[in-house]
Amino acid sequence: MDELEFRRRAYADPQSRDDDFIQASEETPERQQFLKDLNKLDAKLEQAMSLDVPDDLADKLLLNQQLSNHRQQKKTVSFMMAMAASVAMVLGVGYATWRMAPIELSEHAIAHVLHEPKALSAHGDISFNQINAQLASLKGFNDKGFSSQPGQIFYSTYCDFQGVRSLHLVMQGENGKVTLFIVPTEERMALESQFADNHFKGLGFSKGDAFLLLVGENQQDLQFARQELDQSFI
Amino acid sequence: MFTNWRKKKSEQSVKSDMLNKQRRYDSLVRALHKDIFRYAFWLCGDKQVAEDITQETFLRAWKSLDSLKDEKAAKAWLITILRRENARRFERKQFDYSDVEQDTLADSYSPSTEEHAEQYLIRRHISRLEPEYREPLVLQIIGGFSGDEIAEMLELNRNTVMTRLFRARNQLKDALESAEIRGQSNG
Repeated sequence: MDELEFRRRAYADPQSRDDDFIQASEETPERQQFLKDLNKLDAKLEQAMSLDVPDDLADKLLLNQQLSNHRQQKKTVSFMMAMAASVAMVLGVGYATWRMAPIELSEHAIAHVLHEPKALSAHGDISFNQINAQLASLKGFNDKGFSSQPGQIFYSTYCDFQGVRSLHLVMQGENGKVTLFIVPTEERMALESQFADNHFKGLGFSKGDAFLLLVGENQQDLQFARQELDQSFI
Repeated sequence: MFTNWRKKKSEQSVKSDMLNKQRRYDSLVRALHKDIFRYAFWLCGDKQVAEDITQETFLRAWKSLDSLKDEKAAKAWLITILRRENARRFERKQFDYSDVEQDTLADSYSPSTEEHAEQYLIRRHISRLEPEYREPLVLQIIGGFSGDEIAEMLELNRNTVMTRLFRARNQLKDALESAEIRGQSNG
């Protein structure tokens, strides 16, 4: 290593631990002295650069962080509150709208028949006592029901008329099967006495506190079933 | 209800996580705030501003503490944040602190004794160095970083860094020696 290179390296980093640099520094006493002077300069520089740090700086830094943390937490909580409030409001408004909306019973009855084809192909034979037991759990049907068997009943289950629990029966008409819905009366329900779509015809009437809806394929069956009900349903 | 919920949350596993993070941060602050503050001072030349930048730096460090994987790299990581914060200061407002004549360096020592007078003199010379020479020198002497590490932090190549270090020491040495000579001739 020549003198120039050595001095360059020494000025750039007098504390270099590179092997060739250390070796070069030990070659002559002048170089050692030169390096010693530089290290002395570095020591002075370090002293000069190490100015006093305010005593409480560390505490200030920690406090600052705690405060910002706290703020953040508060922000998160209020954000969550706002979220919860708006979710609750949407649920409330949505539920109210849903509950208050008028129920078009006739449309729903036909749709229900179409969606449950297995009901029409059922071949059970259910006694009117069993159906009375089912009716008893509906709203306002404690002391109502069938007084006698209204022909054969093939199928019976609970179903949902837009939130109102009702009974879904399939009974024998004059020729074909007739679906009967027994729905507890509610103010928002709209009942049509006659309705139909391409395939099904329907009859609606109220008896006591209940709406009865009949859905079948032809008018005779419906009338037949209605007569049966007039006699047996109280 | 929400205070309950907050209490509950902090009592569960989140608590130990937060506590861990807090401990890491505490030790980071205590171990490194002096170096960071000094570095900030030599970057901007004003104690108050240096304190502000240090605050900003550590706050930002807290927010992204999870990204610090290697504790050994913490100092370099903080200095990188600090340099960014310092640059941001110039974006924010055009108070050009480092162009202000820095002869009036804040100094808590009274320059009465000879040693303090010398230190005061050295500080003045350091602050008169070009920032591009001063920065690597401070990193080397206070930070104890190697040429390679400085090069990485300042995004320069190593030769440039070594040249700047050479010039920085050279200028300081000249300045101090000429001051000595002048002092002698005056005396």
